Amino acid sequence: MIITETTQNGISVVTLNGTLDALSCPEFRANPAVGDPGQTVVLDLEKVDFIDSSGLGSIVGAARKKRQQECDLFLACMNDKVRKVFEITNAQKLFHIFDDTGAAVEFAAMQQEACK
Amino acid sequence: MKKVITLTLPGELIFTRLAAQTAASVAALVCGECHPKDNNCEFINAFELAVSEAFTNSALHACQDELPPVTLTFIAERHQLTVTVRDTNEPFGIETPQPDIESYPEGGYGLLIIRKVMDTVTYRRDGDANIISMSKKL
Repeated sequence: MIITETTQNGISVVTLNGTLDALSCPEFRANPAVGDPGQTVVLDLEKVDFIDSSGLGSIVGAARKKRQQECDLFLACMNDKVRKVFEITNAQKLFHIFDDTGAAVEFAAMQQEACK
Repeated sequence: MKKVITLTLPGELIFTRLAAQTAASVAALVCGECHPKDNNCEFINAFELAVSEAFTNSALHACQDELPPVTLTFIAERHQLTVTVRDTNEPFGIETPQPDIESYPEGGYGLLIIRKVMDTVTYRRDGDANIISMSKKL
């Protein structure tokens, strides 16, 4: 799993590349932007070639912690394989999901501004 | 004709991808024999996902001092693939409640996913072994 992080319009964009499973999800949780409950994040999932329940659980857990701090985690660029796992567990209803990262960043920035 | 493929791996998380990718490869072989021009991604992805879940379950519940092996047995038949995952961990049940998604649970999705992507899922205890069997038709 390769994790890269950029900042766009004041929002952290975390891009995952590879497999998000029980072996790699500790690395995901340890990412500073993901692990900081006070930071809103857009998660780019386009290059996730496989995700299982452990990976899903780590994303759900990160979202819960951020929302407890009035922040959020938005999902972007889900491929069909990743989308399927969210749909069959019904976890997609917990998230704002965007087709592209730019739209997710724009929405996240607006929401962050409204909370100030 | 029925074909049987067996793979035994150490019960460690690091081998989960090997188990899952092997399952995907075997599923692709079954697809290829039945529909040479139609690569059924849903069938292949289902086995990759189900075996990843079952192997992870075995690895996470293994006694850390011993790390007993996990054996995958694939039974390929025309239009159907069955995989059994065998370990010698403590017994477990597969009748788990569906997670309450509104409470943002971090766990409890594994067996739900297996049931959703497979046609048939059974569990039995055989002596000191757990055997979970998962089947799907093409």
